[in-house]
Amino acid sequence: MRYWVGGLIAFVLALVQASSVQQFHILGVVPNLLLVLLTAWLVVRGLDDVLPMIGVAGISLGLIGLQAPGLVLLALLPLAGLGVIRELRVVHSDFLLFLVLVAAATVFYESVMVLGVMLAGGGHDLVAAFTRDMVPATAVNVAIAPPVYLVMRLARPDPRGRRLSY
Amino acid sequence: MTARTLAWTGFLAVAAFVLLVAGRLTALDPVENLTLTLTSPVQRILHDATTPIANWVNDVTDASGLSAENKRLRADNERLMTELARAREDAVQLRKLQDATGIKQQFPNDTFVAASVVARDSSNARRMVAISRGRSDGVKDGMIVVTEGHSLVGTVTKTFDSYAWVTLITDPTSAVSAMVQSSRAEGVVAGNYGGSLNMEFVGQGAAVQDGDFVITSGIGGGYPPGIVIGRVSAVATAGQDLFQKVKVDHLASLDKLEQVLVLTSFLPKTFAQP
Repeated sequence: MRYWVGGLIAFVLALVQASSVQQFHILGVVPNLLLVLLTAWLVVRGLDDVLPMIGVAGISLGLIGLQAPGLVLLALLPLAGLGVIRELRVVHSDFLLFLVLVAAATVFYESVMVLGVMLAGGGHDLVAAFTRDMVPATAVNVAIAPPVYLVMRLARPDPRGRRLSY
Repeated sequence: MTARTLAWTGFLAVAAFVLLVAGRLTALDPVENLTLTLTSPVQRILHDATTPIANWVNDVTDASGLSAENKRLRADNERLMTELARAREDAVQLRKLQDATGIKQQFPNDTFVAASVVARDSSNARRMVAISRGRSDGVKDGMIVVTEGHSLVGTVTKTFDSYAWVTLITDPTSAVSAMVQSSRAEGVVAGNYGGSLNMEFVGQGAAVQDGDFVITSGIGGGYPPGIVIGRVSAVATAGQDLFQKVKVDHLASLDKLEQVLVLTSFLPKTFAQP
């Protein structure tokens, strides 16, 4: 896949997350479709493919979604570390691995966001952060993950065809 | 991990820290203003297209909450109709007294700027919205934002030429000096994760009951006094605690805000220590 295509997809994902997905409140939290899609991309297509998308998605979501672009980028960066787990092939089932990575990525993402709030001078109630933010956000993201994974698997390019990589 | 992957990760980490510093130094403001200007029409289209689905999903996933809310609203409606009749009578009496004594209304010259909500914070940790008015409309940092029904929404925390960011009262960084309307018990209404509000520093002896209205106290000069914040929904007292735990439900439907009013005639006061 070419850089500009990945960047464009990441930008559109950020736009959809900021304008459409943020309207959905399940268990009191907004599903992070962008994070789930990037994790699916990581599992299905690999770390090399997803890293440039993390950059564009983080900055775009920060600018469009009223957050600090640096903070969102920082919150998405643990995906790179999680990509190493994928490379190690500790779990044979890609789907199971995907669900674990979605849960881990969500915990990292929300932790960075909570840290950002605390550095801004508020939100020191860590129990509330855990019970009203991290736990429901992880549950919701894992719940929306299977259909996202299915779409990503179906959209995966044919390995026998033209090689589509950076 | 290949060398290219390591290089990308390092580059993104450095970029994140550079952007964090640039954000703190407000160097990204022109870019943010331009991005909002360019993307807000598309965001509006996407938002409107998804709203019916989102409403349906939210209703389905919160069916028990809706039922309880409906029950509470019915009880509220009955009580408010009674109070409205009484308030109308009181208003007539008050006007007669004001005419007789020459006392003026509390805020006779309040001016507002109406604005539309054009974007929302998409994270779960923060509660912020962007509104369609900015510096060019006279909006300044620190100005108070209320609903059309004049209940408190939040504070303007960042202004651009044609947009402004409003930090909602439910944001975990928000704290408003407040008092219980009936007993005048004072405290601080602070936002928390999950969009909830707690009234903190309410002494054990203070009279606070479910259903009491909570208003801004004006202490500290950050907010004008008398703006309705919400209603007490739960009070918990424990013998060993210094303060009561008071939960407050905000009156404004902050998750579905579309139009707001910016109080342009009030700017927060800063007091120097003596």
